[in-house]
Amino acid sequence: MTLAELLSTGLLGLGAAFFLTGTVGLLRFPSTFARLHALTKADNLGLGCVALGLALQADSGWVAAKLALVWGLALVAATASAHLLARCILRERGGTRRTPP
Amino acid sequence: MGLAFDLLLAGGLLGLALQVVASRGLFRSVVLFIALGLLMALAWARLAAPDLALAEAAIGAGLTGALLLSAYRALQPAEEAADPGPAALPRWGALAAAVLSGALVAALGWAALGLEAPAASAGREALARLGESGVKSPLTGVLLGFRAIDTLAEVVVLLVAFLGARVVAEPLQRAGPGPSAPGSGEPVLTAPLLRLVVPMGVIVAGYLLWSGGHQPGGAFQAGAVLAALGVLLRLTGRLQPAAATSPAERLALVGGIVLFSAIGLAGAGTASAVLAYPEAWAYPLILAIETGLAVAIALPLTLLFSGSAGLRWRER
Repeated sequence: MTLAELLSTGLLGLGAAFFLTGTVGLLRFPSTFARLHALTKADNLGLGCVALGLALQADSGWVAAKLALVWGLALVAATASAHLLARCILRERGGTRRTPP
Repeated sequence: MGLAFDLLLAGGLLGLALQVVASRGLFRSVVLFIALGLLMALAWARLAAPDLALAEAAIGAGLTGALLLSAYRALQPAEEAADPGPAALPRWGALAAAVLSGALVAALGWAALGLEAPAASAGREALARLGESGVKSPLTGVLLGFRAIDTLAEVVVLLVAFLGARVVAEPLQRAGPGPSAPGSGEPVLTAPLLRLVVPMGVIVAGYLLWSGGHQPGGAFQAGAVLAALGVLLRLTGRLQPAAATSPAERLALVGGIVLFSAIGLAGAGTASAVLAYPEAWAYPLILAIETGLAVAIALPLTLLFSGSAGLRWRER
């Protein structure tokens, strides 16, 4: 097993571990904010590790670039949806005073 | 390893399907249905059918999910007023229906397992004569070459579905997503997200359309991506519902079908038969039809979600 393969396997395992932790957090944490926190952190890191691990096994730079693009887009989507969810919950609770920029 | 993954996938599909019909809350069922669509797309990808996987993920999970969520939202006030609960079906009736359906599925599966693969199937013949269709992708060759009549009818079905929904939805006060909560400004992340996602979506749709000629992709996938963009723009208020369909929208709704039919009818004179293409022109004609069809697929889907007859850009 070469170094790249070893590193790739390690990263894939780490990514899977992050996904598992995130899922446990999503199921077990008490409040919506805590669940959102667990989900976004663990999933984004997990997907990053999986994408990096797969990129190390990729045949060409194009495949690696596509994997990076997938990760970037998933980050954007996760950021926007987490922000919207948190905003919605804040509003339901009466909202917070917004400081003008 | 592959077998373990397939078993997990099959088990997950069956479990999710059961949850979709058996779970109590309507909202839960809708969300589980979307998850079911995503798993189904994975299953198609495992079966080496990327075209179907793309279509299932975009239309089956994405757009149908959005439509169901929008319908759920419209149902809300009525449900609060008088919640009749699930329809009162006696337990023995449900049991009998389940046993009969199960027996039917088992019998069909048994019969299908007993079938021998025919030596000369239509699929093999289509693959062998793909060169005659003018494109390199077998799926596009079948959809727009060998079985063009089916594709034409499918797009007509979509248009009829949209017209039917308009007839039914006309007296509805609230169809589609409602206005955002009063007093709330636009979330800060919406505009940057749209600036990033919308151009990328247009590129992806164009790429899928173009790649339909030689690899997985085509009008349906491109149309679904465009429709998803339409849903996004409608949800973020960039597109506003309109009471009337504008002439441009009418043209887009029927343009693909008219173009397809016209080229198909012209085939009776210029080529051997109706819906056949003159050999030298097959590829450009198919590309033109696919472009028209992508728009004719995207617009009705967006309008169905919007629950309105037309769409207008928000005035700034």
